[in-house]
Amino acid sequence: MGEDRLWPEHLDEVVEEFQACFDSMERYELLFEYAKRNPNPLPPEEWDDDNQVHGCQSRAHVTCFVDEQGGFQMRGGADAQIVQGLMSVTAMALNGMSPQKVASMEPAYAEAMGIQSSLTPSRANGFLNMFKRVKEDASKLSG
Amino acid sequence: MTLDIDAIRADFPILERRLPNGKRLVYFDNAATSQKPQCVIDAMSEYYEQYNSNAHRANHTLADEATTALEGARDRISSYFGTSPEQMIYTSGATEAINLVAYGWARENLSEGDVVVLTEMEHHADIVPWQQMSVDIGIEVRYVPIDVESYTLDMDAFEVALNGASLVCVVHTSNVLGVRNPVEEIIEKSQAVGARVLIDCAQGAPHERIDFDSLKVDFVAISAHKMAGPTGIGCILVRRDAMEEMVPFMTGGSMIKRVTTEGSTFQEGHAMFETGTPRIAEAIGWGAAVEWLEQFDMEEVHEHINDIASWTASRMREIPGIRIYGDPGRDDSSGAVSFLHETIQSQDLALLLDEGGFAVRTGHHCAQPLMDALGVPSTNRASFWIYNTMDEAESFVHYLQEIVDRFA
Repeated sequence: MGEDRLWPEHLDEVVEEFQACFDSMERYELLFEYAKRNPNPLPPEEWDDDNQVHGCQSRAHVTCFVDEQGGFQMRGGADAQIVQGLMSVTAMALNGMSPQKVASMEPAYAEAMGIQSSLTPSRANGFLNMFKRVKEDASKLSG
Repeated sequence: MTLDIDAIRADFPILERRLPNGKRLVYFDNAATSQKPQCVIDAMSEYYEQYNSNAHRANHTLADEATTALEGARDRISSYFGTSPEQMIYTSGATEAINLVAYGWARENLSEGDVVVLTEMEHHADIVPWQQMSVDIGIEVRYVPIDVESYTLDMDAFEVALNGASLVCVVHTSNVLGVRNPVEEIIEKSQAVGARVLIDCAQGAPHERIDFDSLKVDFVAISAHKMAGPTGIGCILVRRDAMEEMVPFMTGGSMIKRVTTEGSTFQEGHAMFETGTPRIAEAIGWGAAVEWLEQFDMEEVHEHINDIASWTASRMREIPGIRIYGDPGRDDSSGAVSFLHETIQSQDLALLLDEGGFAVRTGHHCAQPLMDALGVPSTNRASFWIYNTMDEAESFVHYLQEIVDRFA
């Protein structure tokens, strides 16, 4: 990912797909679709207290690790499809990056996708809590 | 007199609001808080613009006006609830009101092994203080279960739980199910075994006229903000003999007669329990809200709300996958419709409804023991009040159907 880019190039297609939606309901439909396309899901049987993202009204869980190539990998699962869809896109964005890079990422892609209601901190819908947790884990993995 | 809903709506400027996406607000989150009529907003603004001053203990004009308004609000509010101002203690809301009973009455009058009866229907505000009392002084807390078929209290179990009880604390109307409990029967049976009774009327007061003296109950907790008043204020209504058994759980200025370095003596009556600067603007706003409500026959208000809730629930039941918790069609139901869709998660559903301008609440509604009894972690809840219309209900049902068609 270039220094001047806010998200990796391979995510452009995803962002553009959301931007092409007619309205917010179509964007949510697409997000429901992405919820089914998580590249590395965390199934409910692996959800526990340690991997729970706190502060979410729904249940959301993430685990993060570094793969053999030194790339950051996250696995996530949520009972709410909107959070699950954002997890899928986030995993597509972050997986394979260096943990150091992930630790300094901002969720600009979600803003560009037009999912505004998921980006208001006062809404207890979990995306920002999930993103913060992922960055904290990436920071620990950087050490 | 028939309710003029258009005229009522004109009193609430917020109902004209459009959301950032251009959608007109349809406010169905009234069980969380009601909207405020212009007269309440004006009364509070007028206080700050014209006579803002600390109440009591001063001889200047503004302090006199503020004190008169504060105590005038107490007169009006207590009268609305069928009692005298001496029986009313201002609190920050129903939660502080219940805590005042726990820390001001129960801790002074109960001891290890004494029994406090609650129900599974209680809001956390009427559970946690009693659990804390259990830790602090060793009281036994008993819970009356609900019948999950009828969504009502198991009154046979209630009678069993009453055995040896010192205090019975029951929610007047469930914030989740909208069920209005048989509080008159509960009060009578509880007092027959010598127990004092606390009724949490936070949800009941916006839907019916609570007549404290006629109920012959010991404590009634009320919140202003669910009945057109501002947030941050409520009260506990206390029967005279019960108040005599209470001690203050917060102390400081205002509530004293005399303070010396050796100790302090306290005021008597409600003044003993109101320490610090009063919530003057909020009390004035609540007084204005009560004055606004006095123009209506609350039985008509209830009928209007019940018609909308009943119709909405019956149409929602026709939408595949929707399950309703409670029976909004019952005459005594308060206009809350709790529901879930079998495949669309509750938080997703609330966000999708919000996109259409519909404000509904999602979560456990501060009633997790009730959620446990229902076997669900959360529900969506649409709750109606005086200014809601059948047109809004129709648009809600249509939009919900659209969501289910697209996302289920």
